[in-house]
Amino acid sequence: MNECILVVDDDREIVGAIAIVLEREGYTVRRAYDGLGAVEQALDPAVRLILIDVMMPKLDGLSALMRIREKRNLPVIVLSAKSEDTDKILGLSMGADDYVTKPYNPQELAARVRSQLRRYTLLGDVHAEKREGEIVNGRLSYDPERRELKADGELVKLTATELKIVDLLMRNPGRVFPAEEIYQRVWQSDSYACENTVMVHIRRIREKIELNPKEPDYIKVVWGIGYKMEQHN
Amino acid sequence: MDTKWNNTTETVEIEPVMPQRKGTGLRAAAAFLTFFMGVSLTLGSLCGAVGRRAIGSDYAEWWQNDWQETPVFRNRISNDLESFLAIGVGRTVDWYHPDYSVEDTVSGTGTIWFFADTPMASYETSSAEAQDTSPDSAYKHDLNTIYAIHAADGKKYSNLEEVTGYRIALDEYSKLPKGYNFLLIYEDGKVSIWKDGKKLPVYDSDNILDEDSLWNVPGYTNFKVGEEEAKVTIKMAVRQIPILYKGSNSYSYNSLYWIYRSLQNSHEAWRSLAISFCVGLVLLAAWFVLRKERYAADQAIAKVTFHIWTELRFLAVFLCLLCLTVPMLAAADGYLWWYPDDVSYTIMQTLRCFGTGLFNPGAALGLFWAVWFIRNDHHYHPAETRKSLYRTVSSAMRKKELTYPIQKRINRRIAIRNLATVLATLGSFALLYIYLETYDEIALLGICAVWLVLGLLSSILWGRRERALARDFGLLADHVAAVQSGELTTPLDLPADADLRETAERLNSIQSGLKAAVAEQTRSERMKVELISNVSHDLKTPLTSILSYSELLMQEPLEGAASDYAQIIQQKALRLKSMVQDVFEISKAASDQLPVKPEVLDFGKLLRQTLADMDGEIQKSGLTFKLDLPEQPVEITADGTRLYRVFQNLLQNALNYSLPGSRVYLSLKTTGKAAVASLRNTSRNELPEGVDFTARFVRGDESRTDGGTGLGLSVAKSFTEACGGTFRVETMADLFTAIVSFPVSMHKPKQ
Repeated sequence: MNECILVVDDDREIVGAIAIVLEREGYTVRRAYDGLGAVEQALDPAVRLILIDVMMPKLDGLSALMRIREKRNLPVIVLSAKSEDTDKILGLSMGADDYVTKPYNPQELAARVRSQLRRYTLLGDVHAEKREGEIVNGRLSYDPERRELKADGELVKLTATELKIVDLLMRNPGRVFPAEEIYQRVWQSDSYACENTVMVHIRRIREKIELNPKEPDYIKVVWGIGYKMEQHN
Repeated sequence: MDTKWNNTTETVEIEPVMPQRKGTGLRAAAAFLTFFMGVSLTLGSLCGAVGRRAIGSDYAEWWQNDWQETPVFRNRISNDLESFLAIGVGRTVDWYHPDYSVEDTVSGTGTIWFFADTPMASYETSSAEAQDTSPDSAYKHDLNTIYAIHAADGKKYSNLEEVTGYRIALDEYSKLPKGYNFLLIYEDGKVSIWKDGKKLPVYDSDNILDEDSLWNVPGYTNFKVGEEEAKVTIKMAVRQIPILYKGSNSYSYNSLYWIYRSLQNSHEAWRSLAISFCVGLVLLAAWFVLRKERYAADQAIAKVTFHIWTELRFLAVFLCLLCLTVPMLAAADGYLWWYPDDVSYTIMQTLRCFGTGLFNPGAALGLFWAVWFIRNDHHYHPAETRKSLYRTVSSAMRKKELTYPIQKRINRRIAIRNLATVLATLGSFALLYIYLETYDEIALLGICAVWLVLGLLSSILWGRRERALARDFGLLADHVAAVQSGELTTPLDLPADADLRETAERLNSIQSGLKAAVAEQTRSERMKVELISNVSHDLKTPLTSILSYSELLMQEPLEGAASDYAQIIQQKALRLKSMVQDVFEISKAASDQLPVKPEVLDFGKLLRQTLADMDGEIQKSGLTFKLDLPEQPVEITADGTRLYRVFQNLLQNALNYSLPGSRVYLSLKTTGKAAVASLRNTSRNELPEGVDFTARFVRGDESRTDGGTGLGLSVAKSFTEACGGTFRVETMADLFTAIVSFPVSMHKPKQ
């Protein structure tokens, strides 16, 4: 594999720690400690992915990201101590592909890097092979005819019940389903206090498709209302 | 080259303008003076001419140069001829001239002469001559007319002897003495007249006999003489240029001289009017050239006239009008009437009356300039800045009044009003009494007038003030309401003399103080949040390294206790991470900076979801959960994610601190308009009394070794309140109860 990843942070120890994790995963790591250095190094076509901090001297991460975007199309993951929704939305709208808050979980970070790289490598193939009626939502793609769910292009193994739930949610991204409705549609019978049953299955699905099942990106709980499939680009 | 030259010519052209600018004041003054004099002279001479014509002060038209051609001369001569005829037949001369024998009050030599510059003849009248009783005594000494009367009875009367030692025959024109050019001979009841050597066609000319000619000589139809008169012969000659003879007791004396003088005067008057008019036109032409320079002068004049009270201005206009109209009215008295038969005559009379007023151009000019100055002043000063006596006095009184507190001001006004009413009532009673005594209707009119004045005063003077006060009260009340609702930018601006001005200003200062305080508070809140945000960021960065490296450390092969130590570092770093996040969120919630997305949700479902979410931990805990949740939806408005955190923390709390194997009770009840969720559990440790469990870093366990952050309840409380609910903790012995309540939403849930 040996894909080259550029890690940018003004804190050298953080860069070092990330480098160790990524190198263990088999990537080559390049380092930069400010925004200008990041822009300079990002121009090297060998760099396949960038992990970049926001608050940095000389040039902040988001500005550097915008400059890099002018020149190159490659996955960029923003790594920031700013954890508020507004910061996340700002980062994603500036062209970041993912937003990870500090302190990060090393395994999750590695998983996100892997996911982004796979998506970018497979992107052409995925679109070329896109079948009739296939539903694509971010990392996920679902073929209702074959009843197959793929995450980052890899087939996810699901039980029959889980597949029914996934089928319902993938066909209606963004729509909020109350637990009762999910239960009724999946198990074909009315039930009260089905919350636990539905939740158990959803948790299992999450563990199969989410990068961090504790902070899911796709199947989300809308508290007090129901569950939904978050829509991604 | 060309451009260079152009440039120099341009600068040369500009330069001469500069010295002209210096003379602007002078030029303005000149322009104004030409305007002033031009208008005054043209308008004045026009008015004078119209007035002169209207009054009819001239004996002759201005074009008549020869005084002997004027009707008044003819009238005089014919009257004298009649008098001489009377003398000739021996009648007393009193039937036509009432002023013939009026005695001068100052007889003899003491006559007062008003025309000091008039050339005087050298004939002194002696007292003996003055007492002459002959019938022609009144004519004797005025040698402007020399006469010889051959009376019917053969007597002769003549003043020819008066010409010292000089006897002249008045038989022929050629024999007249030097200086005389008019000869009238009456013989055999017929009149012959020579003038300047030519015989005038007395009887064969229509001209000389027409109505306006005023010839009234015997010999034609309207003047038949009797037989006696026909016997008389009268010869009279008149001087070409009359002179003033001094001393006489009769007004008829020197009358020819006065006729001559009057004609001269009127000629002079017309001449000066014509000259003034022409000079005025020339000046107006000069002004027209300079007209643009005048505005500076107008402005300067307006600056001066600005200080004149409006009342004085209108008094000046009124006086000028009075001077104009009084002569008009006097002329109109008895003349001005509607004559239905002769409209043109009526119009002429009316015009004549108006013209009379113009005879004195001073009043007309005064009126014109007064109006012009007022207009000029009004052009430069808006109505509200103009000075008037009323305004000066009332503003001075108002200033004095404003030094009193408002209640005293209003009380004073009420008192003055009451006093006026009482006085009016008393006055009315007095007038009523007078009416009952005298039955004079004027007393009744007086009552009406008193109440009318009172009504006008209260509606105009006091009413205006009261309406203004009512308006200001309204504005003040509105402003108080606006300030209460948070409007802090626009101050209340009342007029400077408003009763509530001071109060309004105080309110404004309260408002601005409040604004400053709010701004300060906002600023410090923002700074606080920024500080927390920065601190949390600064804490998270090293924490990231700690967590990363402790994780890496744990993956290394460690000997003995080192593995445990690495694990402890990892655990505590994770705890620190959640504490940093919690503190950050609590602080934001405390500063009202926590973003919340309120939506209608089912409280019961939220609790079930939370339980389901934490099902794994609940199962592991060995605690029994007793639920009392309603099956029908309980709708509240809150931010679901935040509220989930509230119950996650509460349940976590219960899992962490409950007595092992005990029961945890979770219930949701709808009481009236509130949805109340309560979580009860039995504490493992003894709960200390008098402790606020929702305060930060407070735990039931003082030793702080249980792994909790001590922020769970604090976060729960902050988030509940940020969502619009209330959070309460109750403890009874070992029983711990957390109560979260929200108002039940009235809205229907979305599909």
